[in-house]
Amino acid sequence: MIEVNFRIRDGKDFVELSGGFPEDATVLDALETLRARAEGAAPAARVPHYRHSCHHGSCGTCGAVVNGLPSLMCLSRLSDLAAPRPREPGGPAVEPSHGPSGELVVTLEPLTRGSLVAGIAARPTSALEGIPEEYSYLRPSEDAGRASLPADPTRDGEKLPALDGAVSPPLSGRVRFEACIECGLCSAACPVTAPFLGPAALAAVNRHREKAPESAESMLALAAGADGAPACERHLHCSRVCPQAVYPGKHIQLLRKALAGRAQ
Amino acid sequence: MFDPPIPGRHDVRICVVGGGGSGAALAYDLALRGFSVLLLEKGEFTSGTTGRHHGQLHSGARYAVGDRAIARECMEETLVLRRIVPEAIEYNGGIFAAIRDDEADYAPAFVSACLESGIPAREIPVTEARALEPVLNPALKRAVWVPDGTLDAYRLAASFLAAAAALGADLRAFTELVGIEVSDGRIRGGTVRGPDAREERVSFDVLVSATGAWAGRVGSLAGLDIPVTPAPGTMVAVRGRLSDLVLSRLAPPGDGDILVPQRGLSIIGSTQSRADSPEGILPTRAEIEFLRVRADELAPGFSRAPFHAAWAAARPLAGRAASDAEGRGISRDFAVLDHGAEGVSGMFTLIGGKATVLRAMARKAADAVCGFLDVEEPCRTADYPLPSWRAL
Repeated sequence: MIEVNFRIRDGKDFVELSGGFPEDATVLDALETLRARAEGAAPAARVPHYRHSCHHGSCGTCGAVVNGLPSLMCLSRLSDLAAPRPREPGGPAVEPSHGPSGELVVTLEPLTRGSLVAGIAARPTSALEGIPEEYSYLRPSEDAGRASLPADPTRDGEKLPALDGAVSPPLSGRVRFEACIECGLCSAACPVTAPFLGPAALAAVNRHREKAPESAESMLALAAGADGAPACERHLHCSRVCPQAVYPGKHIQLLRKALAGRAQ
Repeated sequence: MFDPPIPGRHDVRICVVGGGGSGAALAYDLALRGFSVLLLEKGEFTSGTTGRHHGQLHSGARYAVGDRAIARECMEETLVLRRIVPEAIEYNGGIFAAIRDDEADYAPAFVSACLESGIPAREIPVTEARALEPVLNPALKRAVWVPDGTLDAYRLAASFLAAAAALGADLRAFTELVGIEVSDGRIRGGTVRGPDAREERVSFDVLVSATGAWAGRVGSLAGLDIPVTPAPGTMVAVRGRLSDLVLSRLAPPGDGDILVPQRGLSIIGSTQSRADSPEGILPTRAEIEFLRVRADELAPGFSRAPFHAAWAAARPLAGRAASDAEGRGISRDFAVLDHGAEGVSGMFTLIGGKATVLRAMARKAADAVCGFLDVEEPCRTADYPLPSWRAL
């Protein structure tokens, strides 16, 4: 068990809530336990609002600034927070803070650059705004030498007639979702203050350029804007905090290279 | 551009309680039928069972031997979802794998039950199955292909919510219904507590509780006793996409018998127990260990892959179970309860069900509302591709 004192931002103040939790519990597990425990309690004892959905790093809703670092709460284990860890993106690892009784202090704040609902619940709206409408969330899955998918009667056009206005024809081979879960950690970690589409949107722009060569020109035009790749200051904090190893900084670099190649 | 026609507007305000999959689909269905919709969700949208479910798009094969009607409905609904929300589905099909002799003996009954349910399952040679997914246990005895897939539970529900919002539905997250007002046997409105903890009275003519495992609590606000059993299930994800096809055991539904790929993860599930409250349910170490062992039987090597996460979700079983074993016996079907006879005219509860059939659940609830109001409006939610979840 690990004793933790959570300091959770709620407007101008912090709500402090303590408890003992298993070391392999995540910050989200702990909040859920505290919330269940406070059911029916007076408003002051309640856990400030937070977002969550899948609890395994796929939905991208539970982003928060955990001890200074934009993180998904569902993947942040208390044991990891009890070890040295950077207090800001790209910063050096620092010993954790402890309270007077030796309890681990964990500070939770909302992601910046989002729309704050209440407590630490912030939606990463600005991170998603620049994602091109035509960008598909699906991509081919690597076959890794495996056999092609077998005949499938449910792909027959009669069973699955196309609807007017459908975004894109469904891919026919092995498919999977894109890695980016649109959680907004990259935008929250990015120090750029000038108008900027942001790392998540530029990663999507580059993914769409790679997947849909017919859109390459329009994607490069987006990336070339003053708020596109040129606004990136190469801090690479986006790639450091990304929970899905999307490495948005790499996508921005690829866009820069493509733009340079086009200029020649 | 998402712009479906609304044939006529009805001067009726309907409150949907619950911002999970069924509430999301119901808000959209009712808005598309021309009603004024208010949706209340006490936490973030999809923060209950919906977001935490296993993520399997069920062809219905899993249920076919036990219940042909449920299986048929799953098959119909997967085809609709693949059309209206393709971006939230990794559709690659699935394999039911017989590892033991008794599982091999189950194949003929399984395939014929699928075919009788409209699911085009077919046995494929073991060599073909292993060429499709070499991760399958080399001890594989028989294999059946089915049209299963993977859902993004959050993006599926969020797409329905975005559609409802585009049609003018008033969707309120972090807003809890804390009181229900009934007079002369009819529902009149309620009290809600918003994100800032302030309470406010709201009026509505009809209330539908689509709160899954929380239905008992919402019912109790109106003095009703709702027969629902929160039945938690645990799932474990490891890093690495072991397969593209969903892998299941060729056996009657049990624990730890489905391996669902999703993005760069592989997820084994589930277990089933029962709980008094759906809140704060966490997986136990014993469940996690059990699932890892079971996953290795389907795909040896699962337990050697890096551990990623474990979590639990409370299924909303319709009915009451006194024990875990009784819980598995409760059907995965859903029902709409009309509380008129209990003195709360205008209130309905949607109980049971599962993610794949969220649209059918919504249709049944919206049909019940239309019947109550004596309004004739057909369900049209199968007709239009949904807008992006990013619009929510």
